[in-house]
Amino acid sequence: MTAARRRSLALAAAGVAWLLTLVVAPLFGSHPVTLADALGGDPIAATVLWKLRMPRVLLGLLAGGALAISGASFQTLFRNPLAEPYTLGVASGAALGAVLAQQFGMPGLGGFAAVFAASFAGALGVTALVVGLARSRSGLESGTLLLAGIAVSLSCSALILFVQYLADFTRTFRMVRWMMGGLVVVGYREVLWAAPWVAGGALVLLAARWELDQLLTGEELAASRGVDLVRLRLRVLAATSIMIGALVAVTGPIGFVGLVVPHILRRWIGHEHLHLLVACLLGGGAFLTVCDLVARTLMAPAELPVGVLTALLGGPFFLWLLLTRKR
Amino acid sequence: MTEALVAARALEWTAGGRRILGPLDLEVRRGECVAVVGPNGAGKTTLLRLVTGVLAPSRGGLELDGLPFADLARRELARRVAYVPQSRPLSVPLTVERLVLLGRYPHLTRARVAPAAGDFEAARRAMRDVGVAALAERPVDELSGGERQAAYIASALAQEADLLVLDEPTTHLDPSHQQEIASLVRRLSGAGRRTVLIATHDLNFASLVSDRILALKEGRVLAAGPPERLLRPELLAALFAAPFEIVRGGERPVTVLDLHP
Repeated sequence: MTAARRRSLALAAAGVAWLLTLVVAPLFGSHPVTLADALGGDPIAATVLWKLRMPRVLLGLLAGGALAISGASFQTLFRNPLAEPYTLGVASGAALGAVLAQQFGMPGLGGFAAVFAASFAGALGVTALVVGLARSRSGLESGTLLLAGIAVSLSCSALILFVQYLADFTRTFRMVRWMMGGLVVVGYREVLWAAPWVAGGALVLLAARWELDQLLTGEELAASRGVDLVRLRLRVLAATSIMIGALVAVTGPIGFVGLVVPHILRRWIGHEHLHLLVACLLGGGAFLTVCDLVARTLMAPAELPVGVLTALLGGPFFLWLLLTRKR
Repeated sequence: MTEALVAARALEWTAGGRRILGPLDLEVRRGECVAVVGPNGAGKTTLLRLVTGVLAPSRGGLELDGLPFADLARRELARRVAYVPQSRPLSVPLTVERLVLLGRYPHLTRARVAPAAGDFEAARRAMRDVGVAALAERPVDELSGGERQAAYIASALAQEADLLVLDEPTTHLDPSHQQEIASLVRRLSGAGRRTVLIATHDLNFASLVSDRILALKEGRVLAAGPPERLLRPELLAALFAAPFEIVRGGERPVTVLDLHP
């Protein structure tokens, strides 16, 4: 099978998986629902399907796609296979912003919008800080970048713990649950809030596909061909920070999707970004939604936070990646 | 061999208050092959990075066909000047064909965002010219050093630029691959077909392929001239502070470095 044929098949498979997830995932859960019941006027079935499960599935498709496309772009941009919003601290920065807004935000001051804004600011702030720390005369040191990301990430986590310590019992419980990462939503408000940012960010990344391709051959060659590296970095960082900022405010930090999905997809799709980024949007969304489906049916009626499940899968994968890279 | 394609006047590049290159003047005429030689740290790669627009000069200026570089958009410059840098990632996860096609990037525009038939044709032509057409489907990571260098040169040719700039094209290659790259460069540049600027440590390579050699030392031009005039023991001793013998003089001198203390 030629590479091009394998790529087309893999892209088609990602598309089919995305559609199947969208249609099938809402039908499963602690309370069995059939499409016939929901459409046939059963009020409980309709509520469960349209008010609870559909928004959750849509959020999963959005979040998984955004995490995977961000991870794929970061890995090329920083030429480091371990780069993703989680390891570079972007997600932790967004989480810190959101937690601060939840704890100290005045109730009258926009409420959810304030959490959103704080999450954006946290994501952008941490990205700027990490990139600033890793900057040297010869450009961006990819090793330093990762270490700085991890260090800043840990500091953010410590600050989050501190804020939780200050909070009262109910709030602390809510924050801890939220920090585990989950797709718990009721109704479409959060989905509608996040969707435009994710769509905008994804479009910016897709528009940078040729520049990202050029980076595969090295920064010097890319620069000689007219790629403005500084502008490209800013574009990608801004786009991912906005997507991750918007999502973390809703879902909390969900790790490893941005790491696992791009690496798996590269095996079939290859490294060229037009196909890879589209496949990440579709495949990442399907992956997270299926993880969430497992998380909410495995111990039904209890629900496992999906972040716990992705981390459980992602941890060993991360190790495997580290070990097989140095053959 | 008439007007200058690239001209530099009082060109300087400084980093952290230290002058790395210049001030120097440079002219590369249309159809000419110029080799820049000199010891490590002489500023060869810096000069190439300035000519390819990867770096911007600290002082002085560069002109392409009489047009100041500053007036050219990045992509416009990239359509005129193609570069094969020495510093490249260890792994390039692409096939030769896709690598070569990436050379078409400067020709894409807002209105034409994806490569079209003409771009694929230019890529095929470049692979044929360099002799890597048979490797088109092979992953770059699986190629030998010489084949990989040829693939990168094909990628630069696909840019269809007026000037081809090569940084150390024979370094890290075994003798037979060095010879292959030398004959490739000769074939590409011979009889004024292309304008080529090369930085190299390899004096015999420079002697064989270039019309003119530019000897660079500590950022300044020590001497410039055709190989037969420039490759002389006294001059090489002054340039490298090492004893050289010329074993074959004449039009294409061959030099030997005497490592004996």
